[in-house]
Formats: sequence, C-alpha cells, structure tokens
Amino acid sequence: MLKYLLSRLGGMAVVMAIVAVLVFLLTRAAPGDPVAVLLGDQATPADIARVRVQYGLDQPLPLQFAYWLRELAQGNLGDSIFLQRPVTQALWERAEPTLLLALMAVAVAALIGVPCGVVSAVFRGRLVDQCFTGIAMLGASIPSFWLGLVLIQLFAVSLGWFPVSGYGEPGAPLGQRLHALVLPALVLGLLNSALIIRFTRASMLDVLGEDYVRTARSKGLPEGVVVFKHALRNALVPIVTVLGLTVALMIGGAVITETVFGLPGVGNLVVNAVLRRDYPVIQGALLVIAAIYVLINFLIDLLYMVVDPRVKV
Amino acid sequence: MRSAHPAPPRRQLLLKTLAASLLSLSAGLAQPALAQGGSHATLAMVAEPQTLDPMASTADLVGTIMQHVFEPLYTFDAKWQLVPMLAEALPKVSADGKSYRITLRKGVKLHSGRELNAEDVVASLQRWMDNAPRGKAVARELAGIKALGPLELELTLKNPYAPLVAQLALPTGMAAIMAKEAIASPLKDFVGTGPYRFKERRPDQYVLLSRFEQYSARKEPANGYGGRREALIEELRFVPVPNANTRVEGALAGQYHYADLLPVEAMARLEKAPGKTVPLMTPSFGFPYIVFNTKEGVLANAALRQAVQTAMGPGEMLAAGFGDTRFFSAEPNHFPKGSPFYSTAGAEKYNQRNARLAKELAEKAGYKGEAIRVLTSRQYDFHYNMALLMAEQFKRAGLKAELVVVDWATLVQRRGEPKLWDLYITHSGQFPEPMLSPPQLGEGAPGWWSSPAKTAALEAFNREADPVKRGQLWAKVQQVVYEEVPYVNVGKFASLSARSPALQNYQPAAWPFFWNTSVKP
Repeated sequence: MLKYLLSRLGGMAVVMAIVAVLVFLLTRAAPGDPVAVLLGDQATPADIARVRVQYGLDQPLPLQFAYWLRELAQGNLGDSIFLQRPVTQALWERAEPTLLLALMAVAVAALIGVPCGVVSAVFRGRLVDQCFTGIAMLGASIPSFWLGLVLIQLFAVSLGWFPVSGYGEPGAPLGQRLHALVLPALVLGLLNSALIIRFTRASMLDVLGEDYVRTARSKGLPEGVVVFKHALRNALVPIVTVLGLTVALMIGGAVITETVFGLPGVGNLVVNAVLRRDYPVIQGALLVIAAIYVLINFLIDLLYMVVDPRVKV
Repeated sequence: MRSAHPAPPRRQLLLKTLAASLLSLSAGLAQPALAQGGSHATLAMVAEPQTLDPMASTADLVGTIMQHVFEPLYTFDAKWQLVPMLAEALPKVSADGKSYRITLRKGVKLHSGRELNAEDVVASLQRWMDNAPRGKAVARELAGIKALGPLELELTLKNPYAPLVAQLALPTGMAAIMAKEAIASPLKDFVGTGPYRFKERRPDQYVLLSRFEQYSARKEPANGYGGRREALIEELRFVPVPNANTRVEGALAGQYHYADLLPVEAMARLEKAPGKTVPLMTPSFGFPYIVFNTKEGVLANAALRQAVQTAMGPGEMLAAGFGDTRFFSAEPNHFPKGSPFYSTAGAEKYNQRNARLAKELAEKAGYKGEAIRVLTSRQYDFHYNMALLMAEQFKRAGLKAELVVVDWATLVQRRGEPKLWDLYITHSGQFPEPMLSPPQLGEGAPGWWSSPAKTAALEAFNREADPVKRGQLWAKVQQVVYEEVPYVNVGKFASLSARSPALQNYQPAAWPFFWNTSVKP
C-alpha cells in the first residue's frame, strides 16, 4: 500500500513538472503583451519598453523561467501585473465561490442524474427511459450562457427571487453568498446532470445484467433491494469518478457561467488573465488547477477502494 | 421526562446555525432586488479596471472610477469649456504664451487630513510627466515646473502650447493631484482630494469608494464636471459585470443603480420597462477610426491610401457596426456641431464609396493586387462588423483585403510592429480638445504618420492660444488628414447606459460621475 502511494506521489510530481514547463512555454508563445494592455491606447513604444523592464519581461525567457521556478520553490506564485496582489492571494479570494459553486452544482447534478439514470436503466426501452435519455441529450446540447440568461430572466428579472449577478454585497453573510450561487449552480447542475444520467444508466445496465443480480432476484428479494442494494452500490464506481472529475472540471472550467453571473471565481480570473496576458496569474492558476486535478484523480482512486472492496492495490 | 430536557449544547448549536442559515437565506429571498439600507449605489461597469493608478492607464474605466478619488487642476463644464477645479482660477498666461502661473484653492483637504499645497501639485505633475502617456507628451513641451509659494506654482514651456490646460483637465490618463508622501510606483495609497476616498478593492468583485467627510467643494454651482461637487451617496460600489447581456438583465431587474455601456439592441427592452429602469443615451460619445500604416507595407504609398479612402463607405460601415440609426451618425466633421472645432474641411473625401474611382486611383498609385492586411479583433463587435463590411467595399474596388482577426491583447501589441499590418480598427471617446485623441496627431503612435504638412498644420494649431483662431486652424489640420489619410474618422456613435429610477440627479457624461447624485430610499 505504502509503495503504491509513493509511486503515485512520484508520478504526480512528474506530471506537475511537465505542466509547469508547458504552462510557461504556452503562455509566452502566445502573441500579445500585458504591458500594452495595461498602459492603454495612448502609450508609446518607449513607455511600454520602460514598464516591461519593471516587470522583468525584457529578460530572456530561460532566465524568466528560472526566476519563476525559484519563486515556486519558495511557495510563491508571483505577483499579478494587473491586480496589484500576489497570485496566491488572488486565487485564495476566488477559492470560496468556485468551490461552493462546484459542490452545489455537482449536488444538483447528482440529485437529478443518479435517480433519473437508475429509473432509465430499470425501465430500459420504455417511455420513461426514452424521455430521460431525450432530456439528457437536450441537456448536453444546451449552451450554458443561454440557459443562464433564461434562468436570469425568469427567476431574477420576472420573479425577483435571486440576484442577476454578483456574489452578494460587500461583506455579505454566507447565506446571501449561497443565495447568489443558486442560479449558477442550477445552470451547471442541470447541464451536467445530462452526463450523470447517461453514465448512471450505462453503469446500471452493465450491473443489472450480472449473475449476482439474477441470483438476488431468484432468491426472491424485493426489486427495490435488488436495484438499490445490489446493483446501484456496484454501479457507483464509475459514477463517483464522473462526479469527481466534474468537480475538478468546474474549478477553472465554469468560465462561461461565471462570466454570465458575474461571479468572482477561478475561471473568471483565468480568462481575464489570458485576455490581458497577466502571465503570473495564468501560470499560477493553471498550475494550481492542474494540481487540484491530479489530487482529485488520486483521491478518486483511493475512494474506489472504499466504494468497491474488490479494487485492491 | 426526557423530552423536557434541553437539547445537548452541540445539537442546539447545530440547530441554531441551521435556523440562522435558513433565515438569512429566506431574508435574501424576501429582499427587493435593489439593495437598500444605508446609502450606497451599485454601479455595473464593463470590466475590472486594469489598474487604479489614474495616471498609469488611459483606459476610460480607470478614469471613470478614480475621478471620484483624485481631482485635476482644471476640468470641463457641461459645454466642454475649461474651468478650474483644484486651481483657484484659470492660469495666468504670460504674453509670450510660455509661462502658466497657477494659484491653488485655499484650504483643500487631502484624504490624509492635511491641506493640499503647491509641493504636492509639483510632485504629482512630475510623476504624471514621468509615467503617464499623456504626461509625457506634455513633458516634451515643458521647460520647467516649480512651486512659487505654498499655493502657487509656475509651468514654463519651451514654446507656446495651447492644449496644455486641456491636457491637465482630462479624466483619463489624468494629471491627478495626490499627496506628495503617497507618491510611489506602483501607486499603493490613493490619497487624493476628491469627494470620495478609496476604501477597498476586490478584483472581479468590486471597488468601494466611501464619502470623504472633509471634502472641500467649490462654491460655483455644479456644471458638467466642474463646480460644486457633493458626495450625497455614502458609498459607491463599482462592480465589474463583463457580460453585456447580464448588465441589461441587471438593469431590468433593478439590481444596479447604474449600468454602463449596454448593447444598442437592448434599447427596445429598456424602453418597455419604465418603472424599473431609465435608458440613457449619450450622443457623440465616441468615434471609430481606422489607422493606416504610413511607414511600411503597401499603404506607405499616400496615393494608395487615397484610393482606399475613396473605396470606403463609412455610412454603411457604421450601420453594420451599430444597427439602430439613433446610435450613429455618418458625418465628415471630426468634431460635432457646437464644438469650436466643428469643420467640414475635406468633407468631399468622406463617405465616397466610389469603387470605380478607387480602382482608377489604385491603378495610378501602382497597386498590383497586394493584400491589404486589416488588423482587427472581436473584443468589440462593431470593430469586427465594420471590418467585414469594409473588406467587401475593398473587393468592389478591386482591392484585396486580408482580415487578420486577433484578440485585443495581440492587436495592441502587433500594431506597434510596422511589419505586421496595413490597417487597424479602433475607437476613441469624443474629446473636447483635438490633441487628446487620436494619438496619431502626436508623434510616434502606431501608423507613424509624419509629414511636413502635418508638422506645419499642427504647429500652427498648437501655438495659437485664441480659441476662435484655433477653430479655424483645426480646419486646416482636418484637411491634411483627409489629404494624407493617416487615419479615417468613420463617424460618431452614441452610447447606451441605464439608471434605476432611484438614482436621482444623474447627469449623463462621457465618464460617468456620481457626485451630486443621490439614491431615493
């Protein structure tokens, strides 16, 4: 077990090193200049050159990379060019809305997706199955910005139940902040539930065809016990994987929803940083997101062992 | 009996927390959309400001927010006339036009509580000239700057330079006056004299400004940016809402007191919701312009630039860019009617859309079908739509347009490289003084326009102090622009914003300001 853990951790370190090199190279390979964006339309080439020196952008790339690695080794992700604060602080400020949104959205997705998927599998080929499969297809094809705007019009503009955008007023209590996340979580949850329905259905169909399910039925167990205790429990492994990856995807990947709802999340931070070429933020945020991804994958593998005792190291 | 026992403390705590969360959630639900209580205004802006240093960037957003914190020596009234702000009166200019004596208002308090003095102003202007793109243009004209007394200073010029006071007055790339001890690069403390002081910034969430209780207002009645300023609202909350549709929905839901720059297609919906929101139109808000590379490439040939200008139809381009006719006007005058710089010089060369003549001119200019690289971006839809239409107009005239569509950060970098483009599309606010925009009228801006005719026309214009004569001299500059085609001013566009009916006494302005406005409880 220990050997397995160590080898996994070693692999994770290698992945992170590759990510660091790639992130740095890709960021710098893209055209565009953060200083030209920062200074605005009236800046002359001389102004731009002067400010580039201030931020060390005039140095050769290998040297810039070496500086960045040195900072990373000290646990420092650098300072944002635009936000006048360290990248770690900028990320930390956005961690809460992003994490809460991801968890709420996955909860919505699971609450809709798992029961619908189970029903679909149990009543395979029947009308209810076709309805749920159709809804899943529809959900997978709706663009999130459109659904976002529709929900905004209905629940925020017409009914006035939720704010249109933002993350509560300055200094808002947790309740108000969660309240502001309801609509975006619904958007992400509804869209992702489509995937969960399909996965649950497929996974359940696999399991329902297994010998032990036939045995359980032939023993005369009630259908509910067969489906929920014997089948669903075994079908959960791939579903947990998808749910975990969905959380990981939403950290930094819920960009459109965050933009539509004006949420100060990680995705928004990264996109703005890319548009403005805020190199330290792009590099730092991508590195952290990659680390979270790697970590979640690792945790999912560990979770397999809990959910399914057959999975052994 | 057991049921009579109080619940164990931990469970009780849990229950209380749960109840409190539910209550706060339901309180949130029951709240009217527009946050009330205290006095604050939620102002939905188009983006997160690039910086809060008012000198560092010429971006409108930075100026819009920070003009509440910092003030210039002079400013503009509602008719774009220069009026004093921190200065007591307009400067005393020497007969040779080279010396400007400025007296400051007495008793103006900085946000630190100290009184403003001439040393602060000299240090601020020095920083502006060292760092700010606009300040550097002024620095080239300046021979010296010194404090003459606690409230008096003198600017000495190498040659007469008429745009000086206008340069000192503009809210973007502002010659902001700040406390000498707070001056640093980058700026960390925002110690100005404005009616609001900086409170807090959370990137992508808000910039908070709170009322400065010791603000020293002018005595004259409010007029444009000038006159008496009074912070009637306790706290201003500038909130970035980058999605334009979300700003529209927020305005319709009454969530924002003010929503900046909305898409013109939203006008009909805003007009249909009179109790919720009030649409605001600012005519002659800005102008799109197309810059020509006069240094390298196929358009370094002035005769071919003429041919291109002949092929272009700005009227059609504006229609493609802005749709609703209430929001644009195709006019050859670079300054709107009513401005001292209104002129129709060169008008016959505007909006020709003459494919046949353009073809002839291009042939005469030796055009061999080389690609004309049009650098544009989709950051602003109207830029891209205008580029598409312009490419079609070029095609009709036998000119080969090659659209190079990049993101905005790439465009602002590439336009600095003369080898990479022939034309690029951008826009600017409509400023009261020609020398403030476009930057191509100065030296070294992308396009690298430089010619004896330009130098002669602009020198005469910049040396003249008399406003009436300056108007006539501007006509000559405009004529040269139409003849040498360093850029094409496409026309005027209006902007659309919206305010909630609760925001009172708001005066639409190019850089929206919220002093003298109040929020109805």
